[in-house]
Amino acid sequence: MTAEYATVTQLPQYHLWDRTKGKRIPYSFDLELTARCNNSCRHCYINLPRNDRDAIKRELTAEDIASITDQAVSLGSLWCLITGGEPLLRDDFSEIYTLLKRKGLLVGLFTNACLISEEHISLFKRYPPRDIEVTVYGATKETYEKVTRRPGSYAAFRRGLDLLLERGVKVRLKAMALRSTVHELPEISRFCRTYTKDYFRFDPLLHLRYDGNKKRNAEIMAERLLPEEVVAIEQADQERADSLLRGCDELIIPALKNQESNRLFTCGAGVKSFTIGHDGYFRLCSSLWHPGCVYDLRKGSLKDAWEHFVPQVLGLRSSDRDFLEKCRKCPIINLCLWCPAHAYLEAGRMDAWCQYFCEVAHARAKALEKRAGLSQ
Amino acid sequence: MQELDMDARYIPSGNIVAREIEGELIIVPLVSGIGDIDDELFSVNETGKVIWDRLDGKTSLTQVVQLLADQYSVSRQEMEQDVRGFVGELLKRKMITDARASPASS
Ligand code: SF4
Ligand code: SF4
Repeated sequence: MTAEYATVTQLPQYHLWDRTKGKRIPYSFDLELTARCNNSCRHCYINLPRNDRDAIKRELTAEDIASITDQAVSLGSLWCLITGGEPLLRDDFSEIYTLLKRKGLLVGLFTNACLISEEHISLFKRYPPRDIEVTVYGATKETYEKVTRRPGSYAAFRRGLDLLLERGVKVRLKAMALRSTVHELPEISRFCRTYTKDYFRFDPLLHLRYDGNKKRNAEIMAERLLPEEVVAIEQADQERADSLLRGCDELIIPALKNQESNRLFTCGAGVKSFTIGHDGYFRLCSSLWHPGCVYDLRKGSLKDAWEHFVPQVLGLRSSDRDFLEKCRKCPIINLCLWCPAHAYLEAGRMDAWCQYFCEVAHARAKALEKRAGLSQ
Repeated sequence: MQELDMDARYIPSGNIVAREIEGELIIVPLVSGIGDIDDELFSVNETGKVIWDRLDGKTSLTQVVQLLADQYSVSRQEMEQDVRGFVGELLKRKMITDARASPASS
C-alpha cells in the first residue's frame, strides 16, 4: 500500500543496487574489533592471545570507530559486520555495537558465542542485529576443544548458543571442514541443521595467517584437507553440488585462456565493500594484508582511502610470466581460492601461483565436469 | 485506518534512523518492533520525502498540507490525501511520534 510514498522491498531486490551497478560505493564494511581471541583455534588466521598487550594497544577506540563510521555512512555504507578475533572480548563491545546501530547501519556479528552474557542478550533484544553467525568447531567436547585448544570452551559455547536461542536471537551456524573435525562432519552437520534454518555448508578452504607466524601457518597447513577430500565433501552436499553445476558456465570459462590483461585484481575487492582492521588500517577486503595495499586511517581519512587509495591498488599490474600464463589466464579461477590477497599470505607475493589452491581447483573442476557429463 | 489529527505535529521517532544513500531516503529500524526488520528495506520516494522533511515537530499536518500545496501548486485536497496516506503509514510502522507527547521535542 505504501507504493505512492514509500516502498518496502526485500533488501536484495532494492532498486538502488541496480541503479548504481557500475559505481564504486562502499555499501558494506567489516569492522575487526580486535585480533585477540579467547580461543586459540588451530586453523585461525588472526587470533592473538586474549591479553596480548601490544594488540590491545593497537586497537581502535570506540571514539575512533565512531568517527570512521560517520565517514563510512556518508560514503553510503549500510551494512557493517563486526568481526575479530573475538569481538566480545572488548569491554566496550556494547558501546560500539550501539553506536553502529545508532548511525543507521544494519549490523551483523561473527562470534564464537563463548562469551555471550545476559547483558548481550538484552542488548540484542533491544537493538536487534541483522544476523549473528556462530562457528561450530565440533559437535562434541573432544573435537571442539581439539580445535580451540581451550579447556572449557565447549561448555562455554553451548551455554552461549543456548542463551541466544532460548531468548529468540536469530543465529546462523557455520562450520569448517578441518583435519581435526573431518571425522565428525555428519554430527556437526546434524547439530547445525537442528539449530539453523538457513542453508548450511562446510567451509573447507583455509588461508594462512595475516602476521605470517611460521608455527601457526604450519598448524593451518596441517588442518587443510586433501583436494580429493574437499571435493568429496562438496559433492556429498547435494544442494551445493547442484548449485555449482547450475553456475558451471560462470565457474569454468574457457575464454579466459585468451585474456591479455596483466591486472592483479579482477575480483570485487574495493568495489562495494572494505574492511577496517583492528589496528586502524583500511583494507580493500578482509584478506588483503599486503603492506602496499593497506592505508593507515589514523593518518588519513576513509574518504581519501576510498576515493584515492583504492583505485591505485586496483590498478596494480604484474609482469611475472608465470602469473600471466597461469592464474591470469586460468579458465577455472572461479573455482580456486587463488587471488592476490591469498597468494600474498601463501607465498609473500600477490602474483604467486599456489600449488595447494591449484590442486583443489583442478579437483573441483574434474568433479564438476564429471557431474555435468552425467547429467546430460 | 485510525482518524488522523491534522493539528498534530510529528517528528521522526527516536527508534528509527533516517538515512540518505545516493539520494535515496531510507528508514532503518533501530529497536525491535519497528517495521519488519528481517530482510526488508523501507525506502521513501520523492513524494514521501517532501512530506518527511516537513515532519519537524513544529509544523502541524494542516500546515504541512498548506505549505506543500502552495509549493507544488496542487490542490489542498490532493495534498491532504497524500499527507494522510503517508503519515498514516509511518504511524502504523511507529516511525514517527506526536511531538506534543514527546519530551524530546520541547
Ligand atoms: S579475498 Fe581475494 S578475491 Fe576476495 S576480494 Fe580479497 S583480493 Fe579479491
Ligand atoms: S592456482 Fe591454478 S587453478 Fe588457481 S587460478 Fe592459478 S592456475 Fe588457476
